Amino acid sequence: MHRQKVRALISLLPPHHCVIIINMSVEEVTQKTQGLSVSENQEGQTVLSNSKDFNLKHPLNSKWTLWYTKPPVGENESWSDLLRPVTSFTTVEEFWAIQQSIPRPRELPLKSDYHLFRDDIRPEWEDEANSKGGKWSFQFKSARAPHIDDLWLRALLAVIGESIDEDDSEINGVVVNVRRSGYKIGLWTKSVDQEPLSKVGAKFKAVLQLEESDKLEFFAHSSANDKNARPTLVL
Amino acid sequence: MAKYTEEELLQLKPTEDVSANFDVDGFKTMIAEVAEHHEIADLFHQKARRRSSHHHAVRPKIKAHKPKITKDEEGWCTSTRKASVVAVGDDGEPSPAFVAQETLRVKPNNKNIASSRPADTRDIVTDKPTMTFNAFAALESDEEDQV
Repeated sequence: MHRQKVRALISLLPPHHCVIIINMSVEEVTQKTQGLSVSENQEGQTVLSNSKDFNLKHPLNSKWTLWYTKPPVGENESWSDLLRPVTSFTTVEEFWAIQQSIPRPRELPLKSDYHLFRDDIRPEWEDEANSKGGKWSFQFKSARAPHIDDLWLRALLAVIGESIDEDDSEINGVVVNVRRSGYKIGLWTKSVDQEPLSKVGAKFKAVLQLEESDKLEFFAHSSANDKNARPTLVL
Repeated sequence: MAKYTEEELLQLKPTEDVSANFDVDGFKTMIAEVAEHHEIADLFHQKARRRSSHHHAVRPKIKAHKPKITKDEEGWCTSTRKASVVAVGDDGEPSPAFVAQETLRVKPNNKNIASSRPADTRDIVTDKPTMTFNAFAALESDEEDQV
């Protein structure tokens, strides 16, 4: 009876908790699980058998906010009217819930943008967090557009998982622009320091599955208004 | 610092759809409205566009059949045009072609004919022959003295 109760309690716990329990004695487990109870309804239900009611969430390093730029429909709409925050999330599970419910980049109308930015940073050059930074960007022509949804997802995973970043959080956000000429994916950074940016750019190039001949360019936001501006870094 | 590789995040992807924490339907509706607006705008621009020439690639064939010219022994040339349809009589011989007599009344286009009216009315005075008798001029004339 005592062993059955322990087994039932273990089945309710997340996997990494189970590892801890296995290394404990029966008495220790009993002490630790005194507050827990197994009702008749929940008996036999595990994480594997009922994933919907599984409340364990994997926290992300930051809160992320998804923004959407609505294409202009009327002449009186300004940039601030078109740029709208959609939702925010702090866990992996919330990210997947959002990702599975929103339209993919290929399903968006022309002149749309998705922006995913850290914390409360607005996806604008003028934002204090962006003003001294820049962006790595690459434009995918129409011929390579069929894979844009997968590439955008890879970019999102690399950003929220912080796998593209070094110890210091250099990344502010990631953007996809839907245009007639193709799709552009940009990685916004908080600074223009060459050493960390080169490492970030090399990883970003791998995330986007670019070939050696493809040129990933970095532009500082300070030169954003200059149409003839040259990239400060090219990989 | 919480870090996840791409593989770890993909493993955490739920197999079933999970409800998001915002108004997904409202968001999708807004995007659908924009897409619909773009379609209507594109259609309007296509219809409102001035018709362009379609003869860039394929030009219309304007080719008249050249009459066949035969030259006899004496050097006379005769042009013959092959009729597309030849009427055949009861005896099998081709019947003489009926030529309709038509009288065409051609109205001249006055716009292309030069007007007889002078452009300047003062020309009328200068062109008009003057046969007036001036008595004073006649008195001073030397004709009689010479006679």
